[in-house]
Amino acid sequence: MNKRLKCLGALLIGASLLLTGCGSDSGSGSAAKDQGKVFRYGTMAYGPAMQNASTDPHDTYCGWSAVRYGVGETLFKFDNNMDVQPWLAESYKQIDDNTVEIKLKENITFSNGKKVTGAAVKACLEDLIKRNDRAPHDLKIDTITADGQTVTIRAKEKVPALINYLADPYGAIIDMEAGVKDRIAVGTGPYVAVKVTDQGVELKKNENYWGDVKPKMDKVIVRSITDGDSLSLAMQSGEVDAVQGLPYASLANFQDTNKFKISSTGTSRVYQAAMNFHSPQIQDPKVRQAISMAIDKDKFVNVLLNGNGIAAVGAFPETTAYGKGLNGPKFDQEKARQLLAEAGYTEKNADGYVMKDGQPLTVRWLTYTSRQELPLLAEYAQSSLKDIGIKVDVNATDNYKDFLKRGEYDIYAQAIVTAPTGDPEYYLMSKIYSNQPYNNGYYSNPEVDALIDQLHNTFDRSQRNALALQIQQKILDDNGVFYASFLKMSFVMKPNVEGFVAHPSDYYEITPELDMK
Amino acid sequence: MSKKKRKFFFFLGLILFGLLISLTAEYILPYGPYEQNLDIALQAPNSTHLLGTDRYGRDMLARTIAGAQITVCSAVAVAFIAAAFGTFVGLFCGYHKGKLTTVLLRLTDVFLAFPVMVFAIAVAGILGGGTINAAAAIAVVAWPKYTRLVRNEVLPLRREFFIEAAQMSGFSFWRILFVQILPLVIGPICITAALDIGTIITEIAGLSFLGLGTAPPAAEWGSMMSGARNLLQSAPWTVFVPGFAIFITVALFQLMADSLRDLADTKSTR
Repeated sequence: MNKRLKCLGALLIGASLLLTGCGSDSGSGSAAKDQGKVFRYGTMAYGPAMQNASTDPHDTYCGWSAVRYGVGETLFKFDNNMDVQPWLAESYKQIDDNTVEIKLKENITFSNGKKVTGAAVKACLEDLIKRNDRAPHDLKIDTITADGQTVTIRAKEKVPALINYLADPYGAIIDMEAGVKDRIAVGTGPYVAVKVTDQGVELKKNENYWGDVKPKMDKVIVRSITDGDSLSLAMQSGEVDAVQGLPYASLANFQDTNKFKISSTGTSRVYQAAMNFHSPQIQDPKVRQAISMAIDKDKFVNVLLNGNGIAAVGAFPETTAYGKGLNGPKFDQEKARQLLAEAGYTEKNADGYVMKDGQPLTVRWLTYTSRQELPLLAEYAQSSLKDIGIKVDVNATDNYKDFLKRGEYDIYAQAIVTAPTGDPEYYLMSKIYSNQPYNNGYYSNPEVDALIDQLHNTFDRSQRNALALQIQQKILDDNGVFYASFLKMSFVMKPNVEGFVAHPSDYYEITPELDMK
Repeated sequence: MSKKKRKFFFFLGLILFGLLISLTAEYILPYGPYEQNLDIALQAPNSTHLLGTDRYGRDMLARTIAGAQITVCSAVAVAFIAAAFGTFVGLFCGYHKGKLTTVLLRLTDVFLAFPVMVFAIAVAGILGGGTINAAAAIAVVAWPKYTRLVRNEVLPLRREFFIEAAQMSGFSFWRILFVQILPLVIGPICITAALDIGTIITEIAGLSFLGLGTAPPAAEWGSMMSGARNLLQSAPWTVFVPGFAIFITVALFQLMADSLRDLADTKSTR
C-alpha cells in the first residue's frame, strides 16, 4: 500500500511538473494580453557576431540596433531616395568649408522626459568621437560648441558629407547624463529598451515621445534568430509577427497573401567582384572585359535570387542620383569568346578551356559564405565562365582574409554597402582609390584618383553626383570591378501588421507607425 | 550455391551494378552533373528530368549518380586505409612485446575514447575542407577499432605450435606476422570493414553537410543536401533525392556486410 502511495505521489509530482512546463507558454500568452499590444519580431541581423548586441550607439555597430528598434534617433535621416532630411535637427547651415551650424527642434525630449538641448547633443557627439572606431575618421571633428538649441561643428578639414555621416546610426542622440546601463541607452525614439541581451531586445512604448505620430505598440520583443530555416519556421508557425533576413529560397513559402505580407526594397548592398590587377592574366583588359560579359546578371537575379535582387550596372543603385545612366558591359558570350581569342587564347585543351602558350586560362575566385548570395554567384560564374572557356577555381571560405593577405586570388567577390550614408564618397575613397587598404583589386587609375580628390573637395550636391557617375563610368570602362546585383531586403509579416516597411538604408525598422490591427 | 551465399552475391552484385552505372553515367545520361541551365531551375521530377532539377537547373539524377562515385569511392578508400593501418598496428601489438607496444596500445585507447563524429569534425576543422581532408579525418578516427580487434585475435595465436615452429625455422619477424598470422585474422577484418563502409558513408556525408567535406559544386550527397537545405519546403526533391541515395547505399552495404558475416559463420561451424 505504502509503495502504491509513493508511486501515486511520484506520478502526481510528475504530472504537475509537466503541467507547469506546459503552462509557461500559455502563461506568457495571458501575460501578453495583460501587457497590451505586443509585437514579436525575429531578425537575422542582431547579435554579438554583428557587433550590435546593445543599444549604445557609440559602441561599434550598436547604433544600428538603437535606430532600427526605435530607441535612438539621429539629427538627420535618409528618405526613400537616400537623400538626407532633418530629423532631430530642424535645419543646418554650412558656415564655411569646415564649419556647419545645426539648429535643433524645440520640442524634442529624451524618453526620460529631459529636453534635448544643444549641450546634450554636444556631450553625446563628444562621447561618440571618443569611443566609436569609425566616427572620428568620418567626421574629423575639431570642436563642437553649443548655444541653446544650436550646435556648431567645426571639422579639422573639409568634410562635404558631414551631414550624411551624422545620419549614420552611430550618430543617434542619447542622454549622456543618464549614461548607458546594462546596454540600455536613453534615446529620443518611440520605444524604450527594457532588457538587452545577446539574444534580443525587449522594448516598451515611450510615453513621452515627442513626434506627432505616437507609438502604438505597448511592447516590442526583438529576437535574434540567426538560422534561416528556424526563422522561416518561426514565421510560419506564428511564433513571431514579422521577420527580417529570410533566405531567398524560403520566401516562396510566404506568397499566400491571406496569411502573409511582404515589404521589399532595394538597398545599396552590392555583390561585386573586384578584379585583382596584380594577377598577370587579369591585367589583360580583354580578359577582364570577357569575364564581365560572360555572366548574365538578370538570370542570376531572377532565378538564383528568386527575383530578390536588382541587376547592377555601377556601384550605386539606379534609384540614386549618383547611380543613374551608366553604361556597363552587356551580357554577350559570343563577344566574350571573341575577346579571349583576340587576347591570344586561341587553343583549347581537352576539357574545353582556352589556352595561351600551352597554359589554360584559370581564374581563382575568392569569396566567403556568410552572405548566402556569394557562393551562389561564385558557382554561377564558374559555370558561365566555363561556357567561354575560362576555368574558375572557387574558394568560398570564411578564412578569406588570409587569402586576401597572401594575394592568392584573381577575383575577390564580396557584398558591400556602397552608400551607407547616402553619399558616394565613402565607397569610392575606400574601395577604388589607389593603394587604399580595402582596395582589394589593387585597381589604380590616376584619372580616377584625381576625380575622387575633386569629389572630396566638392560641396555642391549635383556636382558630386556628376563626379561619382564619371568615376564609375571609368571603372566600368576599365572593367576594374564587376557589379553583379544589389540586395533586395524583405520583411515578411502577418497581414494585420501595419507600418512595418523595409527602408533602402536598412536603418529604420520599428517606427511609431508600427501597428497591429 | 547455398542460400547465404546467394544472398551475399545478390547484394554485392547490386552494389557493383550501382557503381558501374555511376562510372558510366556520363555516357548514358543526356545531362551532365555540372551542366547549369537556369531556364529549367527547380523543376519537379518529370519525364525529361526524372528526379527534377536543382536551383542551377542541373539534373538531379545525373548529380545523384555522379555523387555515388565521390561518396562510395571515398568511403571504400577510407575503410581500406583505416583497416590496413589498424590491422598493421594490431598485428604488431599482438605479436610483439615491448615499450613500443604499450605506447601504441595507449594511443589506441586515447583514440577510442573520443566520440567518432566529434573527433572527425575537429580534425576536418583543423585540416580545412575538401574531400581528401574529410576522408583523412574519418580515417584518423576509424583505425583503432581494427587494432583492438586484430590484437585480440593475434594474442592467442602467439603460443600456437605452428608459430613456434616458424620461429624455430628462423622465419623473420615480419614474415611470421604477414605470412603466418595475417591470413588467419583477415576474415573478421573484412567483415568489420564491410560493416564500416555504411557508417563511413554517413560520416563523410555528415562532414560535407557541415561544410567540412566536399565543397560545391562537386556532386557529393551531403553537400547537395546542405546546399538545398532551405529549399526543403519549396523544392523537397532537391533534399530528398540525395538523402534517399544515402539511405539506399548505406542499407545495401549493411545488408551485404551482414550476409558476409552469415557466410563466414557457416564456414566456422562446418
